Amino acid sequence: MSIEVKDLSFRYGKIVALDGVTMSLGEGAVGLLGPNGAGKSTLLRILLGFLVPERGEGKVLDYDIRREQSMIRRSVGYMPESDCFVAGMDAVTFTSYFGELSGMPRQEAMKRAHEVLFYVGLGEARYRLLDTYSAGMKQRLKLAQALVHDPKILFLDEPTSNLDPTGRQEVLELIRDISAHKSIQVLLSSHILDDIESLCETVVILKQGKLAAEGRMADLRTIHYSLYELRIKGDGAAFRKDLEGAGSRVDEMEDGLIKVYMPEASVRMDIFRAAARTGVQLRSFVKSRTSLEDLFAGVVGVD
Amino acid sequence: MATVREKGYSHWDGHLIARRFPWWPITRTGIQLAFRKKRFKIIFAGAFIPSFVFLVGLYVSERLEDFKTFLQGSDRLLNVGPKYFSIYFTNDSLLFLIVLVLAFGTGGLIADDLKHSSLQLYFSRPLSKKDYLIGKMSVIAFFVLILTALPGLVLIIFKLIFAGSFKFFLQYPWLPLSVLGYSALLTVFFGFYVLLLSSVSKNARYVLILIFGVYIFSNVLFGILQSIFRTPYMALFSVPANLQQAGAFLFGQKPPHAVPAVWSFAVLAAICALSALVLDRKIRSVEVIK
Repeated sequence: MSIEVKDLSFRYGKIVALDGVTMSLGEGAVGLLGPNGAGKSTLLRILLGFLVPERGEGKVLDYDIRREQSMIRRSVGYMPESDCFVAGMDAVTFTSYFGELSGMPRQEAMKRAHEVLFYVGLGEARYRLLDTYSAGMKQRLKLAQALVHDPKILFLDEPTSNLDPTGRQEVLELIRDISAHKSIQVLLSSHILDDIESLCETVVILKQGKLAAEGRMADLRTIHYSLYELRIKGDGAAFRKDLEGAGSRVDEMEDGLIKVYMPEASVRMDIFRAAARTGVQLRSFVKSRTSLEDLFAGVVGVD
Repeated sequence: MATVREKGYSHWDGHLIARRFPWWPITRTGIQLAFRKKRFKIIFAGAFIPSFVFLVGLYVSERLEDFKTFLQGSDRLLNVGPKYFSIYFTNDSLLFLIVLVLAFGTGGLIADDLKHSSLQLYFSRPLSKKDYLIGKMSVIAFFVLILTALPGLVLIIFKLIFAGSFKFFLQYPWLPLSVLGYSALLTVFFGFYVLLLSSVSKNARYVLILIFGVYIFSNVLFGILQSIFRTPYMALFSVPANLQQAGAFLFGQKPPHAVPAVWSFAVLAAICALSALVLDRKIRSVEVIK
């Protein structure tokens, strides 16, 4: 396992950010999901050694997160969420500078900076001052500095935030290429479910500092519940109450669509029985393939 | 914008090295960035004027007969000895020029990193807080030493060259140590002073104003308090006065204010300690927490 944490806990003063998180992450792209305040960024920061956990232990590439932070940082490339650069520098200087700080020899860092800047599509703009870069360019630059020392793992914190659709697709394409073809593991923290769904095979969902779900997306979709989408005519409130009483989760969309997340033990006939009991007419009934959004809503309880 | 993956990604086949001085790239880059500012280059060049003036003074002191008509009795000022060096190092203009160079060249050392959230990039590398601060402080050390220790030692060498003998050196063998000692004091003090002020704001212009403001205001405060309380101990409130007191002590001269020099050393040490405390709190991974 490349990342393993056990009973990891951290709090900011009285606020619990992580509470006994235990997980093991293997190869490939892993999505880190959760609503705001779930503890995603805190987890990344603990793995990088920015924060010392209050309790628990962890390893990144077999390096202890408490004692071998320096080794972890050599092996990890970190792309932070917020814009960050060094004023007065151009992209080549900036990228090679952080390569050097990672431990690369100066000449090698400079050569490598050119390569990764071309890779992320900043080849033409590599001598421009960073102060003049657009949001999309800064995002790519952050990816370049994370890649410059050829890390074994990439920690990407909201890599597509503030990007227009084209820029977002391009950055996703890069991340897909890196994780699929370059044998670099990617841990992607994002609130954009589509990004995670399109890139990651494995997902970790955090909720209020606790691990809400972890596993392969395909498994998570099927194991925990079945999703049905229906349209009804009649007393929706009573129908909903009946289903919820049987352990299902019911979400009503704005367009009148009702999503029913049924626990494993339930069968589809339970929906028909509930409709019969409450005098509701089923106008449409579809068993839906659970998207990550549905999974997220089912696990975390957020639309 | 060019399309992504203009060139494919290839793995780097080198090995990361554990540097003996991991902060060195920070120092080198900090110095390079300072020299990219046009205004700074002019100020930096201008900061050598006192050294040049004192160098001319050295030359004239060895050729008093030739310059008799120009000097008109002021040749006693050119009695080159420890006092001459003490005056060079503790005169207001040199100290002010050092402050000027540091304000324009290094004011943004931490402020810019805070403004552009780049601390998290530094600390995602195998760098400790100590490495980061040493790297930044070394930028300040470079500029302070190049304006103090370097000209000081050069002045001693030129004195020997102009005199054509080692008599001066044999007479004051400790003088190079005084030069280095006072330069080191200025380096440490200004290192903490500038980094402290650079860490209290994200705006490098405010930092520039603060560096000047605190330096000048402390001296104004000294003047006001002294006129009220009529005691030389008020000099302890002034940054330049404390530096001058310490300088006079290190060059074996009478302090300009009737206060034991040890008090000035204590004040300067207290400012450094306070700065270290503030820096320790400001520069940490907490920066990455939004």
